[in-house]
Amino acid sequence: MKRPVVITGMGAVTPLGEDVAKSWQALVAGKDADVPLELFDTAGCRCHRAAVASLPALAEMRPKALSRLSRASRLAIPAAREALAAARLLDSAGKSLLPVLPLSVSTTAGGMAFGENMLRNVLARKHSRLLGSAARYLPQHQIVDVQRALGFEGPSVIIANACASGANAIGHAAEIISSGMADCVLTGGFEALTELVFTGFDCLQATTVERCRPFDLKRSGLLLGEGAAFLVLETSEHAKQRGVTPLCRLSGYGHGTDFFHLTQPQPDGQALVEVMRRASEAAGVAPREIGYINAHGTATPVNDGAETRAYRTFLGESLDRVRISSTKAAIGHTLGAAGSIEAFFAIMALITGNLPPQLNLQTPIPEIASALVAEKEASRPLRHTMSVNLGFGGSNAALIFSRYEN
Amino acid sequence: MGQGAVTPAGVGIDALLHGHPVETMTSLVSRPDLPWPVFKVKLNDPAFERWQKEPRLRRASPLSYFLVEAAHQALIGLDAIELAQTGLVIAFSTGCLTYSRRFFEDIVTQGHRAASPVLFPETVYNSPVSHVAAALHLEGSAYALVGDETAWIAALKTAWLWLEQERVKQVLVLGGEEFDSASLDAYRNARWLARPQRKLGFIPSEGAAGLLVRRARPGDSKIISQMDDGFIYRSKTEAMAAGQRCLQHFDSHLPCHGSAQYNWLAGIERKLTQDHRPGPAIGNLAYLGEAATASAAWNTLRALASLDQHHPRLLVPIWGSTHQIGALQIENQKPSTGS
Repeated sequence: MKRPVVITGMGAVTPLGEDVAKSWQALVAGKDADVPLELFDTAGCRCHRAAVASLPALAEMRPKALSRLSRASRLAIPAAREALAAARLLDSAGKSLLPVLPLSVSTTAGGMAFGENMLRNVLARKHSRLLGSAARYLPQHQIVDVQRALGFEGPSVIIANACASGANAIGHAAEIISSGMADCVLTGGFEALTELVFTGFDCLQATTVERCRPFDLKRSGLLLGEGAAFLVLETSEHAKQRGVTPLCRLSGYGHGTDFFHLTQPQPDGQALVEVMRRASEAAGVAPREIGYINAHGTATPVNDGAETRAYRTFLGESLDRVRISSTKAAIGHTLGAAGSIEAFFAIMALITGNLPPQLNLQTPIPEIASALVAEKEASRPLRHTMSVNLGFGGSNAALIFSRYEN
Repeated sequence: MGQGAVTPAGVGIDALLHGHPVETMTSLVSRPDLPWPVFKVKLNDPAFERWQKEPRLRRASPLSYFLVEAAHQALIGLDAIELAQTGLVIAFSTGCLTYSRRFFEDIVTQGHRAASPVLFPETVYNSPVSHVAAALHLEGSAYALVGDETAWIAALKTAWLWLEQERVKQVLVLGGEEFDSASLDAYRNARWLARPQRKLGFIPSEGAAGLLVRRARPGDSKIISQMDDGFIYRSKTEAMAAGQRCLQHFDSHLPCHGSAQYNWLAGIERKLTQDHRPGPAIGNLAYLGEAATASAAWNTLRALASLDQHHPRLLVPIWGSTHQIGALQIENQKPSTGS
C-alpha cells in the first residue's frame, strides 16, 4: 500500500456479546449463539434457529427516536461508537472528534424489516404509516442514523457484494487512505436478521436443521446470524500525530469475481486462490508466514469443499502449520457483516495469540483436518492473520492483518 | 471512453439525447383502481434479444437486462485483453425490486413453503453485477454500491480509486433501476408522484446508463475533474443547507446542468443553481422520469454531451432524493474535437 494503513479502534455487537471484549471472550471459550429464532414467524420453514444478537441499550436516545431506528441501526450504532471510543475519537458527549469522517460500510439487507412491513401493508391495502417504513428500509438511512448518533458527516460508500461485502468495505477503506483521499476512515458492516433473507436461505436449503459444522464431512448447511463490527482505519502518521498506538496494520487486500455460478464457487477454488494471492502480494507476506486464517466456512457442502481446495493450493505444504477456523459455527453467517466481524476476530487473534476454536467438528474434512483449531488450543505468537470471505455472485475477498511495529 | 444507455425513450445514446418516452398507466398494488403514469423500458426492443440467449440471464430480472445492454454499448471496441483488465462498479438504489416483491408476496400470501429458490438469488444486490461481469467477461474488480442518486458519485469515486491504485486499466461505471408497482405505493405516500393539477411531482421510471472511464491522458477531451458528496440531510431545510455546503466546493461561476426538474428537490436546485449559474438549456431534452441511480447516470451523460465551446466546463449536481447531495464538475479540454 502506498501509505501504510493501521487499525486504531474496533467495536462489535455479535450474537455472543454486546461489545468486543464479551464477543471475543465467549468466542475463544468455545461458546455458540445458536438459539430458536423468535424475531419473526418461521412456520413453514425447514429451519427455525439462528444466532440472534441482544440489542445494546441506546440510553441517550429518546423512545420516539429509538422506535424509528431499524434493527440494523440498533446493531450498527453501538458497534461504531465502540470503535470510535477505542480509537480515542469520541468526546465526553459521545460525539466524534472528527466532524468529517468518511464511511465505508457493508450490508446486504439494510433495514429490510421496514421494507417487509411496507409490503405487508401494501398487500393488505393499508395506507397508514407507509411513508416512514418505506424510506427507512434503504441502507443509506442506517448510514445517516450512525452519522447523526455519533455527530459526524462526510462521504460514504455502501458496498453490497453479498457475503464478501464486509471485507470489501474494509479493503475499500484502506484503499481510500492509501491513495490519499482521506487520512482516517470508519469502516465496517452490519446486518439484522430479516424474514425475507431467512426464508430465502431456507428455501435454497442452505440452512441446516442440525448443528452448523464448518469443514466437517457431515456438514449440512449454515446457521444465519446478525451483528455489526466497525474498525477505525488511518495512516500510521495520523495515528502518531494523535498519540494513539495502533492495534495492527492492514497490510493486504485482494478481491475478485468468480464467474462459475451465481450461488456456487468454482469447485477447485482457483478464483479464491487468486484473491488470496493478490492480498498476499499486496502485503508482501508469503503464505507460509500467515499464522491464522479466519475462513469463510459456511458449512454448506459446496462452499467448504471448494474453500478447502483453495487453501491447499494457496498454502501448499504450509497448510500443516497454519491454523484455520470458521467462526460461523459460533456466531452464524452474518452476511453483509460477516467480513467485518470476522476481520475483528482475525485482528484479536493477531493481538492476543488466542485462536477461535472450530466448533462442532465430528469428522473433519481430511484435507484440512490438521489445520483446524482445536478447542482450548494453546495461544501462540502470530505475525500475520488473514480473513477470507466468499459471496453470492462470486464475490471473493481476503484481508491480511500484520503486527504493528513502530 | 465509452457510453451506453437504456431509457424508456429507447435504447442507446441517441435515444437518451433525442428520444421521447411514452407514459403507460400502472395501478398501485394497494389500489388496483388507481392508475398513475410511469415510464417503462420496452423489453421487446430488439437490443435485448441477444441477452435472452445468455445462460446467466435466463432467470434474471429486467434490471440485469438494462445493465448488460448499457454495459455492452459502453464497451464496444474493447478487445478480450482489455475486457479482462476492466473493473465494474454498479450503483443501485432499490436493486432487483420486482423479484424481491414477488418473492416476499409469495411468502405473505401463501406462506413460507411457497418461497421460490429460483427468485431468491436474483433478489441479491450483487446478482446483476455478477451477471454483467460474467456475460461480458469483465475480469477486474467488481462492486455493487447502494444508495440514492448519489451512489452514482460513490461509484465514480470507486473507479477513480481503482485506477489510481492501478488495479485495472479502465472501469465501467453503471447506474440502473427497475420499476415495480410496489414503489408506486411508496412514492404516492411520500407525495412524490405527478398529479395533473400540480406542477411538481415526478413520473417513476426505469433503465440504466454506463460510462467507461480511465485515467485522463494528454489529448483526452472530456474529463470529470471534481467529485464531491457526503452532504447529508433528513429534512427539506437540511437538504437546502446540504446543497449550499456542497456547491461551495465548486467554482461559483460554473454554469449548471440542472436535473431536478420535477422531483421534490427541484425548488432547491432552482434556488441554489439555475437562477445564478445559467447553463445549457436542458428544457430541450425530454423528461425521462425518475429512476434514482439511472437518472444520475443519464444526467451525467447528457451533461457530457452538452459540453461545447459555450460551456466547456459544467457543474452537474446530483440531488440524492433520500440521503445526501453531491456534484460533479465535467470539462471539455478540446472543445473543437467535439468527441
